[in-house]
Amino acid sequence: MADVEKLQGELSELLLVEDPDAGLAWAEETLKGDIGVTDFFNLVFTPAMAAVGDKFGRMEIFLPELMDAADRAKRISEEVLQPMMAASDSDQELIRGKIVMASVKGDLHDIGKNMVVLMLRVNGFEVFDMGVDVAPRDILDKAKEVEADIVGLSSLMTTSMPYMKECVELRNGFGLKGNFSVIVGGAPITAEYTAEIGADSFGKNAVEAVERCLALLDRPAIE
Amino acid sequence: MKNSPIYDYMLSVLDKAEHGPVVDENDWDFNYINRTIKDLVKKYDIQWDAEVMVPADDDLADRLFEAGMELAREVGVYCLDTKRQMKWSQEELDYILSTAPKEEVLGLGEDKVTVRHRLPDEDSPITTIGGPYGTPVAEELFVPIMVSYAQESILDYIDNATLVSTHGRPIKAGSPWEAVGCWQEAQLSFEVLERVGRQGMPIGCAEDSPSAIGELATTTYGGFRLTDWHHASFISELKVAYAELTKSIHYQHTGAFSHNFYNTIYGGYVGGAEGLAVAIVAGVILMKATLNGTTFNPGPSHAHLSCNTFPAMIPSLSLGFQAISRNTKLMTSSFPRPVGGPCTKTLLYESAAMAVATVPAGISILEGIQSAAGRITNHVTGLEAKFLAQVGRASVGLTRSEANELVQHIIPLYADQQNLGEAIQGVPFEEAYDVETIQPLPEWQGMYEETCREMEALLGLTL
Repeated sequence: MADVEKLQGELSELLLVEDPDAGLAWAEETLKGDIGVTDFFNLVFTPAMAAVGDKFGRMEIFLPELMDAADRAKRISEEVLQPMMAASDSDQELIRGKIVMASVKGDLHDIGKNMVVLMLRVNGFEVFDMGVDVAPRDILDKAKEVEADIVGLSSLMTTSMPYMKECVELRNGFGLKGNFSVIVGGAPITAEYTAEIGADSFGKNAVEAVERCLALLDRPAIE
Repeated sequence: MKNSPIYDYMLSVLDKAEHGPVVDENDWDFNYINRTIKDLVKKYDIQWDAEVMVPADDDLADRLFEAGMELAREVGVYCLDTKRQMKWSQEELDYILSTAPKEEVLGLGEDKVTVRHRLPDEDSPITTIGGPYGTPVAEELFVPIMVSYAQESILDYIDNATLVSTHGRPIKAGSPWEAVGCWQEAQLSFEVLERVGRQGMPIGCAEDSPSAIGELATTTYGGFRLTDWHHASFISELKVAYAELTKSIHYQHTGAFSHNFYNTIYGGYVGGAEGLAVAIVAGVILMKATLNGTTFNPGPSHAHLSCNTFPAMIPSLSLGFQAISRNTKLMTSSFPRPVGGPCTKTLLYESAAMAVATVPAGISILEGIQSAAGRITNHVTGLEAKFLAQVGRASVGLTRSEANELVQHIIPLYADQQNLGEAIQGVPFEEAYDVETIQPLPEWQGMYEETCREMEALLGLTL
């Protein structure tokens, strides 16, 4: 059996090098060895991406490097892993969950939300990023359209927080509570506020947002 | 009737928002901002020893100014509403910088305050402002909290908190509740000035106007005055919304005093400390070019901690202020946003580090504080602003080299407490102050006095 820890380390480093094709070639070569595609995905690819996310959490890399790594990981998934899994009839899911993300109405800030989007992507989520200043009804429509598991709402300002409440109220009012969870975050958001508006979870930063989304889907965190 | 040159200039700014090249926003963040800044850091050799907290290298400061100017000229500003790039020629930038005043008087009567341009290492006085700067506070605590700042004579003027609610209702951005909230903010602010007998004191406002509605509704008869300190801002990175352009045009017409701010993000699209410094300089130049204010604050914020007292960010900010101060007449403000909240020594140490690092860098204004990173409702008091102003005034006359040594003594007192995403929240106002007498409770007062003595011994300054 391959040394998966060594492979994890190699991949997480390759996701951060200048050459955008380096990880792709390495994955193809590695999968010619004695590790199957499902084990590669679960034991190498996913933990390697999580390790890159952790580096951003510790500010050892910055947002642009995280964006590059997410793009490279996406290419490995689409160009190497998915074709191999289709060929092997594997029922392995490559996506850990679907999330609709938005900065709510009245809030034009996007960097915090973008950080969460990227951290979710490098941790294996499919994310539908609706951007900023998004009305509650539009968010609900998107969640229904893509059959989201989770809706993530961001607000940097107290004056946009009422739109988070509206979003939860609309979800419940339209009978969609069983369809998807709502997680909220942003500088002024607290656990108390989350409970007060009836949201399902709260992440105080991008790292915690990933942990909470995994918990909402009852998936274990990546070791 | 013929327009004045400056009014024609402002119309040309609006034209840029309507007619500039259409740019995808992701492309803006990644290529226009990140790639350009990376190139400029290399081209102008923007680097310093990581141990240095207050660089004292004039050549580096001037190279940083050139890098920031090139970013301003080559990249410009992104208009969020039209999705267009707003670009300026060097001649346009030179024109608008040349119109900047070196000095401005705010306020009324005996409470007038003069703000002046300062150079690095200069021993001329700074202006000090105290307030929660948009930190949310409960309606019933707005007046006592703001009085806790306004009553401190060392503070030249105040900047408001944001109301959590207005008349018991949430203030929704872009709704009529913004106008209601800003009118309540104005009325409560005048009550604060009345209570401390400083009726002419300028007010930093409006802090309940995320769109233009609140500001436009209340900068009028019976509301906020032209002599107050009105705000218009950028969004990171180098983006502007119609709402802020609307406010700026309103200020241009009314003659209201305008303060512009921008929070560039450490660890975000600008990258690390060197890129942050370039963005700080470009941000100040472009705020002048776009919003045409009179005073400027460039943040910044840490991507995870939301603070700006993280050690690696301090030299970027100090150097950015030096670059602006040495090469323009613009008046800048330093604004600590610490991780620590009231009734913690961390808050005081972080504030001291920022004051010592930035006053000798040539700032005009020392303002604050968004305690606990401005995140937690009611976690603000006037005492930390008083402390900041004391350290700031004591730092006037220090050279940058002297300041560097002092900041290096302060950093170890708080650096290991800045953990990811965690505010050291301290206590809310009502547990730090007697709400009736509006005086600090013994625990907070004692901690403040002890830290003053500690700083005097450690830094050799008289507070």
